[in-house]
Amino acid sequence: MKIALETRGVVKQFGGLVAVNSVDLVVPENSIFSVIGPNGAGKTTFYNCITGFYTPEKGDVLFFGESILGLSPDQITYRGIARTYQNIRLFSTMSAIENIMVGEHSRLNANWAEAIIRTPRMVKEEKAAVEEARRLLNFVGLTGLGDQAARNLPYGAQRRLEIARALASRPKLLLLDEPTAGMNPNETAEMVDFVHRLRDELGIAILLIEHDMRMVMGVSDRIAVLDYGEKIAEGSPSEIQNNPRVIEAYLGKPMSEYEA
Amino acid sequence: MKTQIKSSLNAGITFGIVSLFLYLIGFTTTASQIIQNLFKLKPASIVLGMDSLVFSFSLFIGLIGVWAGVNQARSQKGQPFGTVLMSATLTGLTHGLIVALVAYITGSLNASGVKMNTYLSQLLPASVKLFLFNQTSVLGALSQLAFLTLTALLGGAVTYGLTVSNVFGKLADAWHSLWKQVNSVPAVARFRASPYFSSVMYGLLLLVMLLVPLRVGQYWNYTLGTVGIYVLLGLGLNIVVGLAGLLNLGYVAFFAIGAYTVALLTSPAPHGLVWNFWLVLPLGILAATLVGVLLVVPVLRMRGDYLAIVTLGFGEIIRILSKSDALTWLTGGPKGVNNVGGPVLFGWVFNDVGYLYLIFLSVLLAIFVTRRLQNSRVGRAWESMREDETVSRAMGINILRHKVLAFAIGAAFAGLGGVLFAARNQFTGPEDHNMMVSINVLSAVIVGGMGSIPGVIAGAFVLKGLPEILRELENYRVLAFATLLVVMMLVRPAGILPASRRKFEHEKGRAVPGEEGAK
Repeated sequence: MKIALETRGVVKQFGGLVAVNSVDLVVPENSIFSVIGPNGAGKTTFYNCITGFYTPEKGDVLFFGESILGLSPDQITYRGIARTYQNIRLFSTMSAIENIMVGEHSRLNANWAEAIIRTPRMVKEEKAAVEEARRLLNFVGLTGLGDQAARNLPYGAQRRLEIARALASRPKLLLLDEPTAGMNPNETAEMVDFVHRLRDELGIAILLIEHDMRMVMGVSDRIAVLDYGEKIAEGSPSEIQNNPRVIEAYLGKPMSEYEA
Repeated sequence: MKTQIKSSLNAGITFGIVSLFLYLIGFTTTASQIIQNLFKLKPASIVLGMDSLVFSFSLFIGLIGVWAGVNQARSQKGQPFGTVLMSATLTGLTHGLIVALVAYITGSLNASGVKMNTYLSQLLPASVKLFLFNQTSVLGALSQLAFLTLTALLGGAVTYGLTVSNVFGKLADAWHSLWKQVNSVPAVARFRASPYFSSVMYGLLLLVMLLVPLRVGQYWNYTLGTVGIYVLLGLGLNIVVGLAGLLNLGYVAFFAIGAYTVALLTSPAPHGLVWNFWLVLPLGILAATLVGVLLVVPVLRMRGDYLAIVTLGFGEIIRILSKSDALTWLTGGPKGVNNVGGPVLFGWVFNDVGYLYLIFLSVLLAIFVTRRLQNSRVGRAWESMREDETVSRAMGINILRHKVLAFAIGAAFAGLGGVLFAARNQFTGPEDHNMMVSINVLSAVIVGGMGSIPGVIAGAFVLKGLPEILRELENYRVLAFATLLVVMMLVRPAGILPASRRKFEHEKGRAVPGEEGAK
């Protein structure tokens, strides 16, 4: 099995604060890898290091064996990494289907001159783009809502639309930042199924940040735990559940240890 | 009850202030004269036992009185008849008391020979007399009080009647059902659905565009031309601000560069290069585009307010350079450039009609380019940048390249506008390119509706055409114009004709199960 993403000793500092401290991760192809940790553990900063919004001070980020360190976010998207956001960030006045078509940007080629002349190639590409957007809309279960403005969609639909937009670039690695934030248990269960489908039907690797433990334990092949920017544990869901350092990071030390 | 009295008094005070304001700036007299002209009443003739001017004034102030009553009655929706009437009357009474008081004071002062127009230039003795219905101070003030109260009562009663009987709702229903019936006539429906429908509509539009310049005369050709150039500028700025979301306050710079390019290359002075207009036209566009690219490169990483300030400064720099002493040898300095050459086609020297055709043609071209770009990968990239630049980058969009592109195309449109403007006026100078041009074009885009092509056209008509129509109001032109703008933004905050989104999932002509013929 190939390795989709590998980080080696990634360090990101903001002034004196070390937000991400020497984190090593290996995400294999066709797997679901979760990163968990208490609030402020550096999970989103770590995401930003991978997607090129931050450049780490130290370490390296490898995508299918090639370093993507120092590339700009749009270049990294071209390589095949897509992401969603913790607080939904759709293009709110554009329609759902247009949002997906923006996501297709990196796969399309028409430039401004072709757009004005409407070359046959551009027309064909545009037609295919609309078709693909319809297909993705259907894939995430939003058929019929395509012409609605993104901001008018219900909350759960917006979450799924964001994933459809990310998928539109045909990524090899998908980064999901808390996809179940604000969802009820039913919706969360649906999301678990959906993430499984993403892995099984599309065969892509998924890196997941999540707070909902039911979701994390149900969906992940492997889990890494961050605390104060450092990786304190990594393993299968059951290993993580019983790891004393993880329990300590979330719940604090048992009273007996303070007394000792 | 208490709240109702309070709201009635508030409304009355508001209307009192409005009426007094109109009185003190002398607008009551101008409005009366306009009404007099409108009904073609002869001055000093008698209408309904009154002098015709007094009659016109009664009509004007009466309308405000009725409006006060209507306004107050509308805020009392669902209340019993008595309450509505009382409320409207109270508003009218307050309105009348304020007006009557000031009318009495100014009337007495006027009668005792104080010249109030020394302090308020428009408060002429004749205006004061008119405001008192040409009566004595006491009688005039009492008439005002009675008249404003009665008109408010009338307005309240009529509004109550209309609300209860729901006349407007029924009228709207009738209109809708009529529209439906017309559309259900097989021939009409078939025509609307046929592929020729849009061609016929475009053909009609084209015909109008061909005929109008021949019919309306030189003055309106000139005005329409100015509007057309503003449409062109608006379409360009619409790409920069409306689509790409880059607030550019120095847009006039590109207009100036287009204008100066054509002026300097075709005028005998100061360079003596009398080049052919058709050769200079593309050069002007090219020059503006190049400057657009050069400007945007250093400011690429700025967003929002910062970009606005830098571009504002840039617009001023170009204007100040164009009139600076140091560059007089190049630009002609503050005097500007005269005798700018115009287009000649097969021996025909363009007159006002020719220019208007040329401007129409340019606008059509700009609309064509804008539409093509908007409905493409580039247009979607621009709009996503406007919505959220960070996420847009994460979608793989090269922000820098698309910003440069938006600026360049916007600048090209402005350059074209500048070329046409200078050639038509046969002159260009620094003051043609002051900041107000940028502000006016931006206002046209915002008033019309950001990102919408019909909106830009409507906006340009409002911003540049309306002031011409309002000429009759003379001194009060700007006041009326500003009021209309404020009202428009209150009534339609998203613009006159806001952008509508193209439908992709349910495209026109694509069968949708259970939703046939969806618009």
